[in-house]
Amino acid sequence: MKDEEGTDLERRSALIWLSRGFLALWVPAAAGVSASFLKAPSTEHRPGERTIHAGTLSSLPVGEARFVHHGNDPVFVIRASDTQVVALSAICTHMRCVLRWEKESGTIHCPCHDGTFDRNGNPLSGPPKRALPQFGVEVRADDIVVHT
Amino acid sequence: MSGLRQWPPTIALALALAIAAPRAAFAQEPPAAGGDAAGTRREESVPPARSIPPGAKPAKHSKMCGVCHSDIRVKYEKGVHKSEGVPCTSCHGGDANSITVAGAHGAGFRGKPARKSIPALCASCHADVAKMRFYNLPSDQYALYQLSYHGMRLAKGDESVAVCIDCHGVHEIRKPDDPQSRVFGRNIPGTCGHCHGDPDFRRRHGLKDDPVKDYEAGVHGKAYLSGQDPSAPECTRCHGSHGATPPGVGDVEKVCGQCHLKTRNYFLASPHKDAMDQAGQPECAACHNSHKTVAVPPEKFAESCLECHDKGDKEYKVALALSRMKDDASAQIDKADKLVAEAAAIPLYVEDYRSRLQDARTALLEAAPVTHSLDTLLVEPHTRRARSIAARVSEELHEKLASRWWNKVGLGLFWFYLLLTAVIVTRARRRAAGERGR
Amino acid sequence: MEPKQDDKKSFLGWVEARVNLTEIVSFLSVFGLLPAELDSKKPLREAIRGAMTQSLPSYARWPRVLGILSFLLFGFLAVTGMMLAFYYQPTSEQAYASVTLIARDVAFGTLIHQIHYWSAALLLIFLGARVVRFFFQGLYARGREIVWIAAVLSFVAAAITDLTGRLLPWDAPGYWTTVRAREVTDALPILGPITSFLVGGSTLDSMVLTRYYLLHVAIFPMILLVLFYLHFSSVRRVGMSHVVAVKANRSLRVAMYDMLLLVIFMVGGLMTLAVLFPQPFDVPADPFKTPPDARPPWYLLAPYALMEGLSFLPKFIRGLIPEAILAAVIALPFLDRESGSGGTRRLFRYAGIALLAIWGLLTWAGWFMEVRR
Repeated sequence: MKDEEGTDLERRSALIWLSRGFLALWVPAAAGVSASFLKAPSTEHRPGERTIHAGTLSSLPVGEARFVHHGNDPVFVIRASDTQVVALSAICTHMRCVLRWEKESGTIHCPCHDGTFDRNGNPLSGPPKRALPQFGVEVRADDIVVHT
Repeated sequence: MSGLRQWPPTIALALALAIAAPRAAFAQEPPAAGGDAAGTRREESVPPARSIPPGAKPAKHSKMCGVCHSDIRVKYEKGVHKSEGVPCTSCHGGDANSITVAGAHGAGFRGKPARKSIPALCASCHADVAKMRFYNLPSDQYALYQLSYHGMRLAKGDESVAVCIDCHGVHEIRKPDDPQSRVFGRNIPGTCGHCHGDPDFRRRHGLKDDPVKDYEAGVHGKAYLSGQDPSAPECTRCHGSHGATPPGVGDVEKVCGQCHLKTRNYFLASPHKDAMDQAGQPECAACHNSHKTVAVPPEKFAESCLECHDKGDKEYKVALALSRMKDDASAQIDKADKLVAEAAAIPLYVEDYRSRLQDARTALLEAAPVTHSLDTLLVEPHTRRARSIAARVSEELHEKLASRWWNKVGLGLFWFYLLLTAVIVTRARRRAAGERGR
Repeated sequence: MEPKQDDKKSFLGWVEARVNLTEIVSFLSVFGLLPAELDSKKPLREAIRGAMTQSLPSYARWPRVLGILSFLLFGFLAVTGMMLAFYYQPTSEQAYASVTLIARDVAFGTLIHQIHYWSAALLLIFLGARVVRFFFQGLYARGREIVWIAAVLSFVAAAITDLTGRLLPWDAPGYWTTVRAREVTDALPILGPITSFLVGGSTLDSMVLTRYYLLHVAIFPMILLVLFYLHFSSVRRVGMSHVVAVKANRSLRVAMYDMLLLVIFMVGGLMTLAVLFPQPFDVPADPFKTPPDARPPWYLLAPYALMEGLSFLPKFIRGLIPEAILAAVIALPFLDRESGSGGTRRLFRYAGIALLAIWGLLTWAGWFMEVRR
């Protein structure tokens, strides 16, 4: 009898501890959920949606441009010289098509109606009459940052 | 705008009345020799000499002419000739200072210039480079006009064609950048349309279509007249203004190519150019219409080739291939669009996907001029780019949306855990109930 | 009062020498979570032991769970609401963006948000169901006036909290629902101007949003808590009516397990609703673009339909009717003073059924009034 009782009791206490452990898991679970909820999310691209990271300066040769995706307002960063970088809106001022950088001619071309701009955003030919908006550029330790 | 046709008789009537009335009133002497009885038109075949030497002070106003011709004076004073000091006598001769009709209509009075002589009359100043350069105006209008369809027909004796005054007005001549001017951009279709849109005119000349109505219904007309796109063409941009001539069969691409450069270059390199010229087809206008310019809708793309080609031709196969490439890319983009909309509703951050789809759409847009080359090898990279961008966006979004399915799996696991907890609690409860009794 | 020390030197003993723990823990019984009286003169362990030996008060019986559940839901709302408040920004420029942040970028953000939403919906339903149940079981008779009034006012307060909460995300449906709701409340003669004054005007701008936020987060929850307290306090004093045959008491311990099971299934239900039926995120509010299906919230559809339908009456009279009905409902215990199931009681019961039916019909009519428009 005692043996049985003993075994029963053992199994019973094992079960009790198991269930207690099991139930106890709710606590770290709840704590974990709350903690990860409360962890502030990184506001990388949230910023003022106004700061665009446009890659590194060293990977942009002089005279070339880089197209940077940014939602509905992509930009070009053009390295005008060793130390100068120009950031232009990549949206055509005619009918808002997305522009393309023409490497050979160093101009910006619009596929919709054949508009062309020079590397400073001034309209050269075709329908566009207004220059491309320019944005402030900052180079922080080789990182190009555009402020729209 | 009152009909141009009614002006000459009105003016003649006005002149007649104006001259007859004071004549009756003052019992004037008949005009001196050199002038016929007032009111008759005088034929002038030699352009008159300019009455104001350059550098002279311009006349201030219409002087005495306006006393009798007051309604004309009102119109004249709204125009640019007044502000630039071109007096009545410059075109009509006579003496602007005389207070008598005899005097006014005396020496050198030309009356109402003959219609045929009007271009030459206007050209007497406007074709003179020395005179026009002060105003920075071109001086080739007359030369162009003489080469134009209007000018050539006028030379043959057809006086029903447009002469200077029909478009620019007679006395109320405004600058082209004046919105009230008849040659102001947006008013031009109406000005040309006065004749070219007139059903009688078209019947007389055996023309079927109403070019003005067609233009207004086409993409150029809609874009231009709505003010949405001032760089879209109106009549003169394609036909020329003074040298107006419809482009001939082999020249249409030159006209359209003024703006649609890339398209033109691809077209020239394609077999269509020679084939269409030989067949007498008006190049661009054969598919896109001349006045009612339209884009060929994607679903009708291959069909439209059947107007010249047969279903079994290898050309039609090319058409089908091109059509399929574009439709595939378009379909991929639409699919990706739907996924973006679904994701945005959750909401997920979709701006990056949207901008990539814009890239895809741009690539597809670029395929349009290249299609004119009829070369699938040239078109393929563009449609492939569009398709692959859209496909990748769809893939990535699918992954993100699939994770929502995991939420439901998570719910299932949660319930499993919950039920297990409930079982444990129930057993504890039963034990407690057993001990104490309910 | 000198508390008795526990036998062993324990942490509990150390605390109890300084603070009346029993008093603190007894808030559970005050709000009905612990269906027993804790004698705050005794130290905690002893007080609980003592409570365990008591027989269960008559009100702690199945199926009278709606009250407990309501309070539980309130707890969920408070917790999830506080978590949401870590991110929410109550200005018209930032509100939508902050809620998007919660839903999109914060871990479990959507889950917490949806639990909050569904808890609110369920709370209103439960509180309403309680009022209906109280009515049909005549649980507003002599002695239970405060119970009834607190129950009715809890529903009203919860409805107001729900209403003020709808504006907070500053999305199109929330904004326009609030506009329509304000149309209804502004038409009420006495309550209208008070509401308008409290929320700071009739247009919905950033300053008004701040007030809505405060009302939703602090003032009305506090009012709701007070009402809960009053309600439960009165129930404890007056006890339950004997309408349902009383079974033998369960022990307190068993009752606590029952409560735990309730919590467990409540949590399960909320999670299921939150995951399977999330409320979709809509476009941000545009004060210049009215969506075609903008309606007042469901609990205001009936007054809306009533006032629209009676447009031949002058505005003052029209608005007075819903107010009069509400006042009558609140003052019901004083109108129907007869106890038992006598003649007037039956009359009131029929009147109640009729009122409910009319309310249902009006709600339905109010819903479709928008479509016809």
